[in-house]
Amino acid sequence: MAMFVGTDIGGTFTDLVGYDAGRKKLFYAKTLTENADLVEGVMRCLAETGLKPEAVDILKHGTTQVINTLLERKGAKTALVTTRGFRDILEIGRAGRPVVFRFEYARHPPLVPRALRFELDERIGAAGAVQTPLDDEELGRLAETLRREQVEAVAVSFLNAYLNPAHEEQAARVLAALLPGVYVTTGSALSREWYEYERTSTAVANAFVGPLTDGYVERFDARLAGEKFHGRFFLMASNGGVLAARRAREQPIALVESGPVGGCIGAAVYAKALGIEKLIAFDMGGTTAKCALVERSRFEVRPDYYVGGYDYGFPVRTPVLDIVEVGTGGGSIAYLDEQSRLHVGPRSAGSDPGPVCFGRGGIEPTVTDANAVLDRISGGAFLSGALPLDRSAALAAVMQRVGTALGYRGADAADKVASGILALANAQMASAIREITIERGKDVREFTLFLFGGGGPLHGLDLARELHVGRVVVPPEPGNFSALGMLLADARVDESHTFLCVLDEAAAPLLGARLDEMRRAAGAALQRDFGNAAVAFEYQAEMRYLGQRHPIRIPLTAADTVAAIRDRFLQHYRRRYGRADEETPMEFIGLRVAGIAATERPDIAHLHRAAKSGPVAAVARRAVYFAAPGARIDTPVYVRDTLPVGARLDGPAVIQEFGATTVIAPGDRLEVGVLGEFNIELARA
Amino acid sequence: MNLPVNNASAAVDPLTAEVIIHGLCAIPNLIDKNITRTAFSILISEYKDYAVGIVDAKGRLVTQSKGGLPIFVANALCAAVNDGLEIYGKARLQHGDVVISNHAGTMGQHLNNVVMYTPIRTDDSDAGLVGFLAIVMHWIDIGGIVVGSCSSNDTTDIYQEGIQFHTVKVLARGERVEEMYRMIAANTRFPKMVLGDMEAQVAGCLIGRDMVLDLVSRHGHAAIEAAVKLFWDKSEAAVRAAIAELPDGVYRASSFLDDDGINKGKPVPIDVEVRIAGNAITIDFSEIAAQMDGPLNAGFAGGAIAAARIACKYLFSPDEPANDGAFRPIHVICPPGRFLSAQPPAALSGSGSMIPTVVDTILRALADALPERIPAAHHGTYGIHMIYGRVPGENRWYQHMEASVGGWGAARNRDGPGPYRSNLHGDTLEVPVELQEASYPYQVGWVRLRQDSGGAGAMRGGLGVEKSYRLKVPGRLWVQIERTRCPPWGLAGGHAAVTGRVEVHREGGETLVITKDDVALQAGDEVRVYTAGGGGYGEPLARDAARVHADAQSGYISRAAAERDYGVVIDAAGNLDVAQTRARRSGG
Repeated sequence: MAMFVGTDIGGTFTDLVGYDAGRKKLFYAKTLTENADLVEGVMRCLAETGLKPEAVDILKHGTTQVINTLLERKGAKTALVTTRGFRDILEIGRAGRPVVFRFEYARHPPLVPRALRFELDERIGAAGAVQTPLDDEELGRLAETLRREQVEAVAVSFLNAYLNPAHEEQAARVLAALLPGVYVTTGSALSREWYEYERTSTAVANAFVGPLTDGYVERFDARLAGEKFHGRFFLMASNGGVLAARRAREQPIALVESGPVGGCIGAAVYAKALGIEKLIAFDMGGTTAKCALVERSRFEVRPDYYVGGYDYGFPVRTPVLDIVEVGTGGGSIAYLDEQSRLHVGPRSAGSDPGPVCFGRGGIEPTVTDANAVLDRISGGAFLSGALPLDRSAALAAVMQRVGTALGYRGADAADKVASGILALANAQMASAIREITIERGKDVREFTLFLFGGGGPLHGLDLARELHVGRVVVPPEPGNFSALGMLLADARVDESHTFLCVLDEAAAPLLGARLDEMRRAAGAALQRDFGNAAVAFEYQAEMRYLGQRHPIRIPLTAADTVAAIRDRFLQHYRRRYGRADEETPMEFIGLRVAGIAATERPDIAHLHRAAKSGPVAAVARRAVYFAAPGARIDTPVYVRDTLPVGARLDGPAVIQEFGATTVIAPGDRLEVGVLGEFNIELARA
Repeated sequence: MNLPVNNASAAVDPLTAEVIIHGLCAIPNLIDKNITRTAFSILISEYKDYAVGIVDAKGRLVTQSKGGLPIFVANALCAAVNDGLEIYGKARLQHGDVVISNHAGTMGQHLNNVVMYTPIRTDDSDAGLVGFLAIVMHWIDIGGIVVGSCSSNDTTDIYQEGIQFHTVKVLARGERVEEMYRMIAANTRFPKMVLGDMEAQVAGCLIGRDMVLDLVSRHGHAAIEAAVKLFWDKSEAAVRAAIAELPDGVYRASSFLDDDGINKGKPVPIDVEVRIAGNAITIDFSEIAAQMDGPLNAGFAGGAIAAARIACKYLFSPDEPANDGAFRPIHVICPPGRFLSAQPPAALSGSGSMIPTVVDTILRALADALPERIPAAHHGTYGIHMIYGRVPGENRWYQHMEASVGGWGAARNRDGPGPYRSNLHGDTLEVPVELQEASYPYQVGWVRLRQDSGGAGAMRGGLGVEKSYRLKVPGRLWVQIERTRCPPWGLAGGHAAVTGRVEVHREGGETLVITKDDVALQAGDEVRVYTAGGGGYGEPLARDAARVHADAQSGYISRAAAERDYGVVIDAAGNLDVAQTRARRSGG
């Protein structure tokens, strides 16, 4: 029987979840991340569970190494090779100013300075034909220069290479041969989509992190081999699938959002098992909250991502789970500005010094402190009592820093102020959820909210109320759900091409040929890394009305007729915009093919600790504050592990477990499901 | 609970007020994103030529989306709503009504800017009117003598520039007014595109309205009103506090435009006076030039008010959403009949083009009062060029319109950023070369930074760009660039930037230099656009020699400029000549 391990290296903690399929047993560990030696941190974490590396069959690993290297700008000395006349594309970018009224606004400087951006005579035309050939001798001279400059990595990105990558491939081949040891990458190997700035930026980012990631994966592999590990080692990719080490070394940029995807994968697997059509995965941690849509057990993958954020960062074209993030978490600091207006976050107390109630020197009140003041969380239960909470210090900070200045006094002043802090935090998180639904043309009320992360179950029910969501699910182990979700990840390779073609009968053979080419590429990549695993393919087209700007995404099947595609476009368009034009012609802009190969994974029926039956008994009672009715209510407190499958509770109630607390309000009804999950129906307002 | 004292309000406590304000401010930003995704034209989706806002029942701006063009922070939304309140009265603005206006006399901007709004109501009574969800959007064509309606250098009255909708309903109680749709479709060259964008605008109004109503049903109308008042008061107080930090006094600055497009070569003076008195600011345009014969005019609301508020927003409240409270301390004076207070039937199609320079001139006036904040001038022009024509063998047009990017000004503690568009643009994106080449019949030869275009200074101005297009088929080039004679100035001893220009290199060898013109192009002709840099700040000789050397190594400046402007000598191998540099910089 197999032994699975998922491990997630975060900024503060390294989390590890192990599952022994033979004994149907779960293992957990959490250690402080060893930034100096990430591999060592994982090994220590593994040691803490008592698992021996040689006993592990499948190790899945998520890492923040790539994103941190990019954000800290500590990657390789990188050169860019591009078409004559276009080396400044990387610096000019798209020339937008998202921070409109700041004179000093400037995007972070490009990863490659101008002196290391080289232009070559070559040109591919707008139809993909070679206009000016690329000369190997010129490449030879360039290689000399790159050697002299002691460049460690080279990104090759030519104009219109999305139509014809021949010149990029030629340049990469010649440069790699002349520059042994130098990491060479091309834009078209990473993205076959148009928009030269985005593709060039992707190639540069990949080259920039290439040598370090290469070394890291190699070290990890070697270390595992040294520990007699002879299982399979995969890396979590941003697209929600796992990658073999080989592909991760070629395309490290595919790991850019390796960390946060685990929870979404888990949410999708639970959605399928529980038969939930439309679900919002909501993850609230210490510094941020994240949300993602899961529909028919599929999450959306977006084709691009901004490293360092949209306002100041740079784009990379790599498939990333479509996650909206907001700077509100348990550690978010509540403060008054010069106008005495209240803000919550994005500044966070983090884990050091942490919230005031942790008693580690924090002096500014946080969301966690507000929860402590209201007795929604208690020291006895927080991380199983490992971390006592100082409620009175939290109360003093909430009043001194916020309440008194706003003129609140009297017996219930602290409750009102703490409740106000939570209301603002919830409003901010609700905005993120509205963004991910409304911006995508969805109605939030049709969704179930799926809560995890340390703060998810604590805040999620109030969020659901604010958003008019009627049903909430809390999976088992919400505090470790990201690492748990990794255990459930399949292997996945995405191919995307720009495909400009009007939808008519003449398009059918072109479409078929292109999908075939893409399917073969994705299939071959998976075959190479995952052997004979069966591969399932998902096809999508980006389509729009002729003349419209933004495409919408339509699912395709390999057998679709032109008429079927047309109907589906109209149907999706109508659903999204409430109207559709039957006469205007449509066109394809892009095609996406995802190849998905199942990897062996645990059965979620066993990933929980709820007993099959037993009594439902409160371990304590305390007066907990609820925003509605705006008062304290005597509330029973339960321990999650003691609640058997089928147990029912009516709110108000507090349910505590390691790493998370669920709070349900008067009128809410909770039932423990067969997978150990909480199904909660909200009181009707 | 004892009610808080210093923010006392019977209707709402201060923390609930924050929750309400957060909710209200989030709505226009959400609608903004929805519109980006649903609109048809590039102007909307990439150029973001629209803005979303909430206006209260008395026609005052509650909050506005952050991403739209700065020109819209002024008061296009409120101007339209106030006109609607006057014409209809509250009682005749009912749930499900959607009103549009682009009336020149009301908004004072080019007719493409069409404001649409819908009432937000709890019931049919006057008291049940909470406010309006309003969206202003640039419609890509509303008739007139030129394609796109606003790309003219020589219209002389408003009637040549398209159709006016003076406060008319396109939806009445939720039902489409089909007559209006037919009329709109018949008055534009691109009915599909305009109606497509318009659908996005209508949907945005209605979705946004429902989101505001959801907040109202949760907190109550009275609490919403009280929260908004608190928000305005706090914004006003913050702006007043920022103004109070400036020394009282009368500040002046002057600049000029090249010409009005009709009287070629005759400069148009811009003389601005700014008066600071305590915590209020007065911006007085009494001395600016009279309204022009050509289309570079704006009405009082779209011109004088807009320019003043934009400048003040850069200075005093850059991070907050635009709102009525932040505008209260700003007084604007501009007698009727100036080019920022043009009277009907003045042509208005270039109503925004002058404003970047006007805003820069206001800033220049205050440069000595606020030396740590105010940068040197930016390139200062929309720099619009449009390549268009008929697609050979087909009965349709191609059209690529681009507002140029150029350098921004340096400031006391930093080099000038950029290249970006003007200070009236926001997050408007360049159209990728690959998309251009796939869509239009020309090839782009290069897009590169323009060496030596930034003004020299202890802090260097940002660089402009150079771009080359070569036509594959015949077409036309329409150009409207400004500031070729009044270069982007430096401050505190910093040099002015190099100005922009547009050249046409004929296949036959002839070269044409144009600023405001419309010329025929043949296949093989090349268009070269050179844009201005930003001004420098401080004496160039004070710039760190190592930074000058690095700039030269990167090619941002030439070796010759390093020596001429900065006194930094670099040898043929690219090394800094320390001895010669020292000699040159010590006055040798």
